[in-house]
Amino acid sequence: MSDKRRFEIAIYLAFFALIMCAPLLLDPFWLNRIAKYLVFGMLGIAVALSWGYAGILNLGQGLFFGAGAYMIAMSLKLASPTSLQQGSDKPVPDFMLWNAEPGAPTELCCINKASFLWLPFQNQWFGVAMGLLVPIVIATVIGVIVFRKRISGVFVSIITLALVLLVRLVVIDAQPITNGFNGLTDLGWFKVGGFEFDPYIVPTYYFVAIALCLVLAGARLLIETRAGLILQAIRDDQNRARYLGFDVPLYQTFFFAVSAGIAGLAGMFYVVVSEFASPTFMDLTFSITMVVWAAVGGRSSILGACIGAIVINMISATVSETQGFAEAWKVIIGLIFVLVVLYLPRGFAGLAHDMLDSFLGHRKAASSHTAEVSDASQLAE
Amino acid sequence: MAQTALTIDGLGVDFGGFKAVDGVTLTVEDGELRVLLGANGAGKTTLMDLVSGKTKSTQGRVFLHDTDITNWEEHKIARAGIGRKFQIPSVFKDLTVRENLKVASCRNPGVLPNLRFGFGKQANRDVDQVLELIGLAEAANRLAAYLSHGQTQWLELGLLITQNPKVILLDEPTAGMTQAETHKTSEIVNSLKGKHTLIVVEHDMAFVREIAERITVLHLGQVLAEGSVEQIETDPKVRAAYLGSKGIS
Repeated sequence: MSDKRRFEIAIYLAFFALIMCAPLLLDPFWLNRIAKYLVFGMLGIAVALSWGYAGILNLGQGLFFGAGAYMIAMSLKLASPTSLQQGSDKPVPDFMLWNAEPGAPTELCCINKASFLWLPFQNQWFGVAMGLLVPIVIATVIGVIVFRKRISGVFVSIITLALVLLVRLVVIDAQPITNGFNGLTDLGWFKVGGFEFDPYIVPTYYFVAIALCLVLAGARLLIETRAGLILQAIRDDQNRARYLGFDVPLYQTFFFAVSAGIAGLAGMFYVVVSEFASPTFMDLTFSITMVVWAAVGGRSSILGACIGAIVINMISATVSETQGFAEAWKVIIGLIFVLVVLYLPRGFAGLAHDMLDSFLGHRKAASSHTAEVSDASQLAE
Repeated sequence: MAQTALTIDGLGVDFGGFKAVDGVTLTVEDGELRVLLGANGAGKTTLMDLVSGKTKSTQGRVFLHDTDITNWEEHKIARAGIGRKFQIPSVFKDLTVRENLKVASCRNPGVLPNLRFGFGKQANRDVDQVLELIGLAEAANRLAAYLSHGQTQWLELGLLITQNPKVILLDEPTAGMTQAETHKTSEIVNSLKGKHTLIVVEHDMAFVREIAERITVLHLGQVLAEGSVEQIETDPKVRAAYLGSKGIS
C-alpha cells in the first residue's frame, strides 16, 4: 500500500471519528442542524460522483433530492397526528380535508380525484422504497434517452435544469395531493420497530451520521472498482472508451442512477431531521448551491465534496446570523466560488492532494538524499 | 493461403449526394499489414470510419472473418475484434499511463461484471509488457495529460495492443512526430505484424517504406491500385493521381 493510500484512509477515518464525536460537544439544537448538514454532505457525494467522476454536470440534482423527500414525507404525513382529525382512525392529510369539495367522502381513497395515490404510503416502508426507487427510475429513464442519443456536456446540464423546474411546477400545480407551495408539513416521526426518531435526539443524529459514513465509504469503494476506473476513462474521452469496446451510455446511466439514488436517500434523511418537504427543494438555486459545495470542496474527491457541503453550511449558518453579515454572506460565498473556480479548479481537496504530494515527494527526496550520503561515507571509508 | 481477416465488399457512403467512399472492395489477410495511400479527400479516413462503425455505410458490407459487422454499434465492432487509433491522439488524460492500459485490458463491456476490485494478475503482466514495448515503463505512474505528443501517440498504440483486437486500424500513427519518434513507431508497428492484422493510413513515405508490405491506393473514394511498394511506385495511374512525377522517395 502506498503512503498516499494510507493517508487517504487515515483522513476518512478521522472524518468518521469527528462526526461520531459531535454529540459530545453539541446541544440538541446544533446537533439537529449538523445532522441537516451531514445530509447536505451526502448530496455533495452525489454531485461529486456524477460531475467529478462521470463528467455529467447535473444542474437538477434537486429533482432527485425532492423526489426522495416527498416520498417519505407522504408516509410521515399519514403517520402524523394531524392526519387523524375528527376522531377518525383512518388517516387523511389535513390539507386534503381543508380543500375537499363539499360532500366529498373523507376517506383517503376518494377525498379528491388523485388522493388514492396516497393509499400505499400508509406503510412507511413503501415510502422508503419509493424514496429510493423513484429517483433511480427517473434517472435511468433520463439516462437511457440522453446518453443513448450521445448528448453530453452543457446540453445535459440544460436538460436536467429544465426538468427540475418542470417537476417543481407540476408538484406545485398538483396542489390537491401535494399541498402546493406549502409542501408537506407537520409530519410524524420516522419509526423503526417501536423506536421513534425525534429529530432532536442523539440517536437520530447517529442514524444520519452512520448513513453518511456508509454512503461515503460505499461511493469511494465504487470509484475504486474496475467500473469506477472505466467511468473515469469515459469522462476523459468517450470516443476512445467506445472504441475500446465499452458500452458508454450504460456506464453513464448506471452512475447517474447511483448518484440519483444517493440524492434520494439524502432527501429522505432531510425529511426525517427537518420534518417537512417543500417545493423549494426543487428550486434552481438549491440545485446550483449543491454544485457550488462540490466545486469548493473538490468535485473529483468524494470526501472533499462532502466536507465542502458540511463546512459551507456551517459557516453560512454562523455568519448569516451575525448582524450585518446576513446579506453580505451571499456575496462572500459567491466570491469564494469564483476564486475557487479560477485558482483551485479541483477545489480544496485538490489543494490538499497537491500539498500531500509535495510533502511525500520531499520525504522521498530526503530519504534518498540520506541514502546517498551514507553511500558516500561508505566510499570514504 | 492465409485466411482472410477483413473483407470489405463494395462499401460506400453517400453524404447527401457526395460519395466520400464509393464501392471499395478490399480483402486483408490474417497477419497482413496493409497501407492505405491517397491524396487528401481520397476517402481513407472515411473508409476507417465505415469499418469501425463511426459512420454508417449506405452500400456494401464489411466482414470480420465470417461475421458480418456492417453498421454495428462502435463498441460491438470493437468487441468483435477491431481496434482503432485516431488521427488526433486520444487517451484518458486524467488517468495515469498504467490506469489507461488497465482500462484497455478489461475484457468485459458491461457495468455489473466490472463492479469488482483489481484487474487480475494476467492483466497486470500484460500491462507491464506493453509498457516495455511502447517505452513508457518509466512514466507508468504519470498522468497521461503530462506526456509529450509522441508519448501520447505511443500510449494510444499501447491501448490498442492491450485491447488485443484481431484487426488494428491506424490513422496516421506518426502525425506530428520527429524522425526518431517515427522510427520508434515503425518498430512498434513492425512488432505487431503477424500477431495482428493491420491497416495503416499514412503520408510519411519513409515510414511507409519501413513498414509496408502491400499498399492500396484510394482516389476519389475508389480503389485505384493495389500492390507492393515497387508496383505502386511504377504504376502510371498512381503517379498521375497522387505521387506526381517523382515517385516514392
